[in-house]
Amino acid sequence: MKTTHLSAWEHEECVLGEATPEMLDHLTECAPCRVEVARLERGVTLYRKAALEWSSECLATRPRQPHLAGRSRLPALAVRWAIAAAVLFVLALVPLHLWSPRAVQHTAEISDDALLQQVDEQVSVTVPASMESLTHLVSTESGSGAGAATSAPGGKDLVRTN
Amino acid sequence: MEALEQLIHAGQLSPVRDRIAAELEDVDTLCDTYRSRIYRYALLSLRDPDLAESVTQDCFLKAYKARKEFRGDCSVATWLTRIATNLIRDSTRSRKFQFWKAANATAVDAGAIADRLRSPGLSPETFLMIKEELQQLWDTVATLPGQQRIVFLLRFVEEMEVLEIATAMGLHVGTVKSHLHRALTAVRKAMEGTK
Repeated sequence: MKTTHLSAWEHEECVLGEATPEMLDHLTECAPCRVEVARLERGVTLYRKAALEWSSECLATRPRQPHLAGRSRLPALAVRWAIAAAVLFVLALVPLHLWSPRAVQHTAEISDDALLQQVDEQVSVTVPASMESLTHLVSTESGSGAGAATSAPGGKDLVRTN
Repeated sequence: MEALEQLIHAGQLSPVRDRIAAELEDVDTLCDTYRSRIYRYALLSLRDPDLAESVTQDCFLKAYKARKEFRGDCSVATWLTRIATNLIRDSTRSRKFQFWKAANATAVDAGAIADRLRSPGLSPETFLMIKEELQQLWDTVATLPGQQRIVFLLRFVEEMEVLEIATAMGLHVGTVKSHLHRALTAVRKAMEGTK
């Protein structure tokens, strides 16, 4: 054990946790050296407490790093934008497709067919059920030129026989 | 390093590296884990909350960009501290920082911090003594030369080992110890002034 007091450098070594067993032995026996080391340690601890306090106070008032958080969400955002762009693209194509000449022509053909079919249906149901037997006659006679079917204005069919 | 070599011999390096790689890849978790530590280090080094925030953000961005270059020869915390140290050094060299330092616009009221730390059982005399002591310490650490102050903060606030500080700062262990002794000498003198 050291009989003389520890030097300032040795006090600092003790605070740094680098004390040799000899220094530690001396500290257990020497009150003045123990006081010196304790005082230095107290100062360092006081500074640390204040530093932590100030730092947490400053940190608490600051928002979370926006650009880092934003960058980490980049893939999700990119996917969302891609989906939105795709939907917009499809929506933009729909009117073009509907108003293209081919589509218009196709639509006109469909409507013509439907109209003709409707006329056929109308014609086929314009003969009342009670006169259905006459249609056979008319068709037979008209085939020989003996009778003719005419339509009266107003849509009602009249059958004339000779 | 010995622990790392043991891991290499045991064939367990790959999982460790994988874990570190995953840790670096998840930037949100990385920020959550180390942000307060890096911010505190930058704040105490620069004494400017805005500049400290900027350094902290740059630190994580740099780390994220350079994550593939991290070899795993030190902890992630030490690696981040090394990046932050370089950024702090760059910031202190800027003209803006020099101007504000000269203008002393970023001075911190250590007395106000002491007020918040006050224990209920302290007598007014003891509290005044502590307050004065803290102000003296605060000013002393603020006026330490750049590397001395950084080494002091890393050792006594971040509680890093001397070897970790040497790795983070790219210094020899002996140089780090020398800086620590000089800083502690200044602290001791500051405390003697308040006796």
